[in-house]
Amino acid sequence: MTYFFQLVVSGIVVGSIYALAAIGFVLIYKSSRVLNIAHGQIIAAGAYITYALTVWCQIPIYISFVLSMIVTFFLAMSVERIFLRRLIGEPIISVIMVTIGLMSIIDGLIYLTPFGSENFSFPAFLPTEPVVFAGIYISYTQIVGVIITFLLIGIFSWFFKKSTVGISMRAVSDDQMASMSIGISVPRVFGLAWACAGLTAAAAGGIIGNITGLNFETLHAFGIIVFPVVILGGLDSLPGAVAAGIIMGLIQQFASGYLDGNFGLNGTANLLPYIILLVILLFKPHGLFGTHEIERV
Amino acid sequence: MSANRWFATGNYFTTYREEQRIFSTHLDRLVFCLFLTAFFVWPFFIDLSTKYMLVLDNILIAVIAVYGLNLVLGFGGLISVGHAAFVGVGAYTVASLAGVIGEQHMLITHGWPLMIIGAGLMGAIFGLIVGLPALRLRHLYLLMATLSFQMIFEWTIGFLNFFNQGQFIYVGRVHWLTGEVGRNEHYLFWYYVLLVTVVICGFGVRNLLRTRYGRSLVAVRDNDRAADAMGMHPGLAKVFAFGLAGFFAGIAGAMQAYLDRGAGFETFTLHESIQYLAMTIVGGMGQLTGCFFGPAAIEILDLQMEHLAEWAGHILPSALDLATGLRPLSFGLVIVLFLMFEPRGIANWWRILRTYLKLWPFRY
Repeated sequence: MTYFFQLVVSGIVVGSIYALAAIGFVLIYKSSRVLNIAHGQIIAAGAYITYALTVWCQIPIYISFVLSMIVTFFLAMSVERIFLRRLIGEPIISVIMVTIGLMSIIDGLIYLTPFGSENFSFPAFLPTEPVVFAGIYISYTQIVGVIITFLLIGIFSWFFKKSTVGISMRAVSDDQMASMSIGISVPRVFGLAWACAGLTAAAAGGIIGNITGLNFETLHAFGIIVFPVVILGGLDSLPGAVAAGIIMGLIQQFASGYLDGNFGLNGTANLLPYIILLVILLFKPHGLFGTHEIERV
Repeated sequence: MSANRWFATGNYFTTYREEQRIFSTHLDRLVFCLFLTAFFVWPFFIDLSTKYMLVLDNILIAVIAVYGLNLVLGFGGLISVGHAAFVGVGAYTVASLAGVIGEQHMLITHGWPLMIIGAGLMGAIFGLIVGLPALRLRHLYLLMATLSFQMIFEWTIGFLNFFNQGQFIYVGRVHWLTGEVGRNEHYLFWYYVLLVTVVICGFGVRNLLRTRYGRSLVAVRDNDRAADAMGMHPGLAKVFAFGLAGFFAGIAGAMQAYLDRGAGFETFTLHESIQYLAMTIVGGMGQLTGCFFGPAAIEILDLQMEHLAEWAGHILPSALDLATGLRPLSFGLVIVLFLMFEPRGIANWWRILRTYLKLWPFRY
């Protein structure tokens, strides 16, 4: 039974980071209907920026974590400004293909740095001794990671519910034409959505980098799992992203805890999310919380 | 004006039948035949080194695969980032069968045309399965389905013992009328096989686009509601597009397996899928001629990047892995730049050149 609860705990830890990562993706989709395929790469970039600031520039990790979020905020904003702003009005399919191209570009750039081929891990800044609670081991990094994740999710939900900018972003996602007519600058909102997505991605990258260490393959796999998460949650629902992130984390932990090594299977944690994605697309295409589109011809 | 079918300078079609011709003028047909003869004849005069022969063969394989991707992307208006996985399905159909019945079995060495068609059908089955969500969804969610197919494929090959956990599985040398195709003529032999396949498949695609189905696919791309109202089934059209894409990819994969004399994991990763995407975009989406320019351009770019990495490797510290970084970087840049500045691809330059030559010496 302890084993079960151990899996539940680590599932929730991983899942909440998935949730944080998925929020950024949903933000971009909600405001501009663009599936940002490069999101995983932005997460990886965020993790590496945090590491570079902490270790190479010798900045205390609390500050460098915030700094990397700010850097990625502007990075994502400039990506939107340089590549996507001029594609407004083009068919959405070419915008999505541009993000595929961006994914490839960022991949290539990371391979050109030492991060592409070598493994790094953050210096320990918390007690390395894990907390033992009823036989369940939780490390301090995990606890802090989950707290930061939920803090950020809370801040973001407040931001969308109450602040003027958040409300204007929701307005744009609801109806671009109407929001333009009441004086909201739609391109600015797109830029802001990308920037916020970059910010959450950097946070998720920093946390996952602290927990698992920095390996490009792992970060890559982590980035791609965001897609099953958002499909499961429904592409345009923020609560859906959070719930689906945690569900996906639990599924993965149970898969690697109970399936691996039993039926001659290995690495099922990297398989199940995609099977779930296909099944969801077939039977419940709008996910758990997504808006149903009603077509009347 | 339709009388002059040699030097027509524009569109003088008076019937739909004329518009649907494969070659609009006799001059086009002549140029095509000249090109084709040149492609068949040049190996008798020029002796290309094995390295460049392999590049040429790879370009032709990519052309077949890009036929499929262009059907989905250019004519169907759907994004697929799992095309390398479909190619992999074809390659592993051949390779895993060779692993089961032995790489020197008659079926593998003598029955290779059958194997290639079989691999194509296998690819088509997987394409249909992955395309199934199109029945339920509009928009571009299918991108996610293809992505997850790519991931599932990578897992299946990488973790199951049946596929040798992604290690190389060997396929025997093929036999032809004169006996076994030896090491020296291997690449030349496959060059001719590939060339014939490219021509057959090319005519197949061109004719497909003249049929009821091909035209309904284009109609669904342009406006699926209007197509629906006119009695077409948008979902089924998309599913069939995926099936056909899988078929071409499967054929390309089987030939890849025969050409490389086996199949390994690293030829069918997500990066390769993006490479196929880059080929389609650079060549020109929705243009049949684009299927030839794109693969050629990207393979040549790939070769140049290899040279560059080799050259820079002498100067820079060797810890940096330039070759793995430069390839995705260059493909990504090419995708983004073409989409931003020349969305119609190299095929558009070809079109401009052709109109220029047709009208020469007049401007218009």
